[in-house]
Amino acid sequence: MAEDPTRKQGETPPEAMAGPAKSTSPGPKDDPQAPADNQTAWADASPAGQVSEAADRDDTEARAALELAEAARVPVVEPAHDQTGLAIIDPGWVHTGYWGPLDDSRHPAIIALRRAFGDAIEEVTFFRDEVTVRVSTPPLADIVTFLRDHDALRYRLLSDLTAVDMLRLRTTPRFDVVVTVYSISNRQRLRLKTGLLDGQTCPSLTGVHSGAGWLEREAFDMFGIIFDGHTDLRRMLLAEDWDEGHPLRKDYPIRGYKQYVQPGFESPTPRVRDYGRT
Amino acid sequence: MSSTMSDAPTTGTLEVTDEVQISETERQLVLNMGPQHPSTHGVLRVVLTLEGETIIKTDPIIGYLHRGVEKIGETRRYSQFTPWTDRTDYLAAPLNNLGYIMAVEKLCGIMAPERAQYWRVIMGELSRIASHLVWLGTHALDIGALSMSLYCFREREMILDIFEKFCGARLTTNMMEIGGFSRPNPDGIVAMIEDFLTIFPERQQEYVDLLSANPIWLARTRGVGIIEPQDAIDWSLTGACLRGSGVNYDIRKAQPYLIYDRIDFEVPLGTHGDVYDRYLVRMEEMRQALRIIRQCLDQVPTDGPLMLNDSNYVIPPHDTVLRTAEDMQRHFVWVIKGFDAPKGEVYMAIEHSKGELGHYIVSDGSPVPYRLRIRTPDFVNLQVLPHMARGSMLADVVALIGTIDIVLGSVDR
Repeated sequence: MAEDPTRKQGETPPEAMAGPAKSTSPGPKDDPQAPADNQTAWADASPAGQVSEAADRDDTEARAALELAEAARVPVVEPAHDQTGLAIIDPGWVHTGYWGPLDDSRHPAIIALRRAFGDAIEEVTFFRDEVTVRVSTPPLADIVTFLRDHDALRYRLLSDLTAVDMLRLRTTPRFDVVVTVYSISNRQRLRLKTGLLDGQTCPSLTGVHSGAGWLEREAFDMFGIIFDGHTDLRRMLLAEDWDEGHPLRKDYPIRGYKQYVQPGFESPTPRVRDYGRT
Repeated sequence: MSSTMSDAPTTGTLEVTDEVQISETERQLVLNMGPQHPSTHGVLRVVLTLEGETIIKTDPIIGYLHRGVEKIGETRRYSQFTPWTDRTDYLAAPLNNLGYIMAVEKLCGIMAPERAQYWRVIMGELSRIASHLVWLGTHALDIGALSMSLYCFREREMILDIFEKFCGARLTTNMMEIGGFSRPNPDGIVAMIEDFLTIFPERQQEYVDLLSANPIWLARTRGVGIIEPQDAIDWSLTGACLRGSGVNYDIRKAQPYLIYDRIDFEVPLGTHGDVYDRYLVRMEEMRQALRIIRQCLDQVPTDGPLMLNDSNYVIPPHDTVLRTAEDMQRHFVWVIKGFDAPKGEVYMAIEHSKGELGHYIVSDGSPVPYRLRIRTPDFVNLQVLPHMARGSMLADVVALIGTIDIVLGSVDR
């Protein structure tokens, strides 16, 4: 079992994560009606073989792998259907066929990320059936590489990369870069977010996933975020000589900055509200 | 070093525009293809760097159809944005409606009634067949089988007639509402779909007879544009482009939404990852779509609500709006003010005919989405074109563009 070079074993593993993961011990017996191949997908991912190999080498490492395997065996959430047509406002929004732990002390990816990156994992939030991990910016590419190359997690498909201008929601940092990765074998989606100041560069993911190329170009085009290490950062959807800034920023007027002369009209009526810029 | 390209061929819209490097042994030339080229399926411009007839470098230039749909989405209330989703991928409008509506429903934590879920699947799968038919017709047309497009559009007309019967529109359907369907099912819609299910298999056999053993088609598609499975994942491909390379990722199976977990269907996978395998995968997807529609028609409840009865997020039914004061007020507030969606962020991915269609909504608790991101499958899939085209012949570019299955409205948004 090849060791991941990005995994920092020197970091102290947070004890708090290990406790609940072991004590809860969720197993397939929690849900006897669980679809079999849902279970096998994630159970194959749990490093059973890794445990026995690692036990010969290092005791602490074997224990860590055991905890990961324990946490990876998650119960399956039964789909809830509404037969009567009445509203069900379910806080968990139990999606048909969705399964996975909504608990950051039991989520295998978060346990592994916290063990490997420590303080770089800033915050974990759950909403509906989704997990959002807020990470610090500098190790973003390392984290995505870690998730891609991890033997059990295998978040190998970059599902989406975009940005959000948080101008009206908070003071700083201004932007959020949102990376969604998906694990085909485990059927799990994970969202990483990192905050960026205006003008701060974001490490490019093109070295990790080739598919990040256009997505980062689009984020640059729409938000003006510079991706450090991207070799081809040009305008994507707008014209290459577009000189009006980046339209998905929140301070960008909905119809653009400029006033265009309408053909057939002598004096153009101003169609743009003045946002403090002529 | 000073030769000119005065004798360069200039045919149609393929024009020699520039010459970047000339040496004694090799001459590279830059060829501009599009944006008004018939094989680019819209306004796609591809700048090719050639060495002889071999492609060195490909640079797809997009954005000619960019309308700023995401920016528009930040200014429209949740219910107002549905018609815009029709205009992103206008060849599979119901599937776009579905992806957006399900994202909003996920954000609000509501779920459509069972009967509406079945009808969403039926309309989505019909839309998938219609989208694949346009793909097949235009793809074959690019490669040289002119008659395919006539046959494919003939069957697509049947599906568009079903859409017209069902919701009143053929292309930009705006079919689905938050919470289900607001209109009752028209009489005779089941008979129309049954009719289509009876006719289509033999029509599809005609396509197979025309193409699958056609030596020209085989020569132009087999072994062309091969994508290895690890490359397909690396380039974030989804849909038939990914499954043609043998990677089993279909969101209907992987993370089943609606009632797909009750339906028995197969996910076709390719073995070689070339243009021909992607053709086979899409042809099989059409057959599986027929199976899905058949099972849905058997299972769907004949009566029951098509619209969720929810006082917060769903428009009240039309008849009670006319009869009761409460629903009239609710209707007024829903239309004029909209509804306050819960704070949070959701990413809802569905299996579009072209791949993973994801809607990422950030809500700040107001009736308008704070950020609405549409992750269209063909935008992400198109970026693999330079990887596929490197080292292949100039004539293969039309086959490669066709096999990705792009709609420029969806690529540019």
